[in-house]
Amino acid sequence: MEDYELQTEQVLTPDTVDDTLCKYLLFRSDALLFGAAADYVVEIITNHPITPIPLVPSYVCGIINLRGQIIPIVDIRIMLGQIPTNRDCIIILTINGMLVGVLVDTVLRMIDLDTATLCMSPAKEHQRLVSGMCSLPDGETMLEFDCANLLTQA
Amino acid sequence: MSMGNDSILDAYLYETNGLLEQLDSIVLAAEQADAFSNDDINTIFRIMHTVKGSSAMMEFNSLMTIAHRAEDLFAILREQSISIVPESLRPELFDLLFQTIDFFRQEIEHIQNGEALTDNIDTLLEKINSFIAQIQGTAPAAAEEPSGGSEPAAADAPEGFPYGLQVFFDEGCGMENLRAFMLVTSIHDICPEEDFTFEPADVEHDPATSALVAQSGFTMRFRNRTDRDNAVHSVTGMGSVRTYQTMDPVETPAAPAPQPAPAAEQPASAPAQPETPAAQQPAPAPAAAAAPAPQSKATPVKTENHHKESLISVSLSKLDQLAAVVGEIVITESMVTASPDLKGLKLDAFTKSARQLRKLTDELQDVAMSLRMVPVSATFQKMNRIVRDMCKKLDKQAHLTLIGEDTEVDKTIVDSIGDPIMHIVRNSMDHGIEENVEDRIAAGKDPVGEIVLSARHTGSEVIIEIRDDGQGVNDDAVLAKAIRQGLAFEGVEYSHKDILAFLLAPGFSTNSEVTEFSGRGVGMDVVKKNVEDIGGSVSITSEQGKGMTTTLKIPLTMAIMDGMEVSVGSSIFTIPIHNIRQSFRISQKDLISDASDGELFKCMGEFYPVVRMRDLYQIEDGRVNVEEGILIWLEAGELSYCLFVDELLGEQQVVVKPLPSYLNSFNIKRSGIAGCTILGDGNISLILDVNNLYQGQ
Repeated sequence: MEDYELQTEQVLTPDTVDDTLCKYLLFRSDALLFGAAADYVVEIITNHPITPIPLVPSYVCGIINLRGQIIPIVDIRIMLGQIPTNRDCIIILTINGMLVGVLVDTVLRMIDLDTATLCMSPAKEHQRLVSGMCSLPDGETMLEFDCANLLTQA
Repeated sequence: MSMGNDSILDAYLYETNGLLEQLDSIVLAAEQADAFSNDDINTIFRIMHTVKGSSAMMEFNSLMTIAHRAEDLFAILREQSISIVPESLRPELFDLLFQTIDFFRQEIEHIQNGEALTDNIDTLLEKINSFIAQIQGTAPAAAEEPSGGSEPAAADAPEGFPYGLQVFFDEGCGMENLRAFMLVTSIHDICPEEDFTFEPADVEHDPATSALVAQSGFTMRFRNRTDRDNAVHSVTGMGSVRTYQTMDPVETPAAPAPQPAPAAEQPASAPAQPETPAAQQPAPAPAAAAAPAPQSKATPVKTENHHKESLISVSLSKLDQLAAVVGEIVITESMVTASPDLKGLKLDAFTKSARQLRKLTDELQDVAMSLRMVPVSATFQKMNRIVRDMCKKLDKQAHLTLIGEDTEVDKTIVDSIGDPIMHIVRNSMDHGIEENVEDRIAAGKDPVGEIVLSARHTGSEVIIEIRDDGQGVNDDAVLAKAIRQGLAFEGVEYSHKDILAFLLAPGFSTNSEVTEFSGRGVGMDVVKKNVEDIGGSVSITSEQGKGMTTTLKIPLTMAIMDGMEVSVGSSIFTIPIHNIRQSFRISQKDLISDASDGELFKCMGEFYPVVRMRDLYQIEDGRVNVEEGILIWLEAGELSYCLFVDELLGEQQVVVKPLPSYLNSFNIKRSGIAGCTILGDGNISLILDVNNLYQGQ
């Protein structure tokens, strides 16, 4: 099992500290590029055995035992109507003091983002997991992952 | 009102609640004996004193004021013994005390809920005051007017201590008696004890002297002038001192005796206490709070301290944390010793150490669990009070017998069985014990009803029984009521057991009127629900005319339990051992189909529904062929059914972990999952809730 803690120092240079600068974790889910505010991110784990829970919606994959803590796992690919792949990577988020794991395809890297460049998502259909979007310097478009509202999507 | 620091508030609530419980039990016992022993009076006095002191510190004024007057009352009783209260007034005294306790409880509850305290305490205060006046009126010799003795006594320098020092504290600084005592302590450092006296003498123990010190100052007298002058330095160094004045001997009386003979100077009304070494000066008794013999007071205090030193109070969250860590250690231990890396290796030393480690972790687990165990006595004792109150209100006679009070159960369980037991005891008092004593005598029973509350251990369960010798359940009346409530149907035959089950049904209350204590229609079903929430079960047995017995079966602890691991496909579930009656290997022909496409299994002459885990939880890789799997006969309360699973994996003691709260939004509890546990290999097994598994489908 390869668990690794996030080393944000490696990504950030100390002189970029600014009020509007925020760290974001980029991850990919199917074709979409998401960014989750690093404040929410606890750690990233891969290939962790998930215990399924019966009689719950399909996007609730089950629970995992992370060093004695029981954490529920949500597959956002199913939430978004995408097709889950075998490449399972779990991002552990802390949302209002509650730990929850999110299954995604791959985790890319940490970036610094000027929150002023974030704008509201014009699209309506996936509004429930996206709180905003912006263009990255390399030309790609990042969707801001709506961590705060993840748990209210029941 | 300042709430102060949370931890101080916690300590205050903890302490005060403890004291109130102690108080309750003393007063109840005393009421039965119809008298207070001297020990009781001393203890009550001390409790009131402590409540007053700590409430004053927390600025809970209403509590402080009432405790203060109650303390005054007991100061009188302590001095004059209980005989000062004539027989005719005794019931009033007890009622007054119970009212006071109730008032404290109510205020404590307000504090706990963060509500404002009651402002209007005049009624209760007035009651206490008038009671004090009453008993003082009946014993005029003892009723000493404060103005009588104190002032002149302060002016007279006792012989042998000519050099005086009178200290006045800041007005309204509070706790004057304790400030005075601190002063005495600091002067002890510079002056030997036998070389000075002070008055009022009992500032340390008697807070009633506070008012006197505030009013007429605190007077110290010294044998030598130098000591007095040194003491002035101490006084000026103290905080809250408003002013002081020195008093030199005016006219030394003839022949100063080396050691004063205080008996001669004592006012006639104060009881002589010759064997009191510290009584240099008769204590002025403003609220009739004279110094009792210090020894008689010191002894109980000492024994109490002895008890306290061996106990410490720990916050429950720390214990929970400890239990969680210990649970982790137990799991990690088996992960290490059963590691697949060790397979095939012959490691003698490792095996030996591993065995030692297992022994130690087992021990650690036992200790950690025992920390959370508390006796049920506190919960049981509360019922005394309920029986007493209801006897008075309902004008019935009943006696509560407690058995097995020292039975220990998990703290969380103790907390949650209080209400159910109270409900049942109330029911017994209200519906069980006969309305008229004549009925009891006619039935050949003791005119005084009996309610027995007992607790005992059986393996992993605690059995709590509430038995009364009242009229028992009238089957016909219950059935008629059940039909009226729409719970039963006319013309259907119901067995005695079925009828008793109606008592536990929601919305059932046999009393046709709502009384103050029970009959709100939310009685026994709430009891049943509360008990089931903590994994227990309720059953009722009754014989008409003989009484009724309610039995609560409750698991010892919710944190650890014995479970049977079963597998269904690749999933592993844990079934609580106490729910399992039997398991069978069966063949297809043993299964009987019923009309609604379900399956039944016949066992010991009765039919039980068969639930297949594979279908219930939609586990695709579970076995279909009944010959390949195993049938487990489960029972929880009244519910009994058979569960079909793939395999039994074995019995194991498991640490119960709650499921993440996120999953509660999917109503996971209703689908029969009570929690989960971590297996030795780090995987998770879901713990089944036998009660909800079948109903939930």
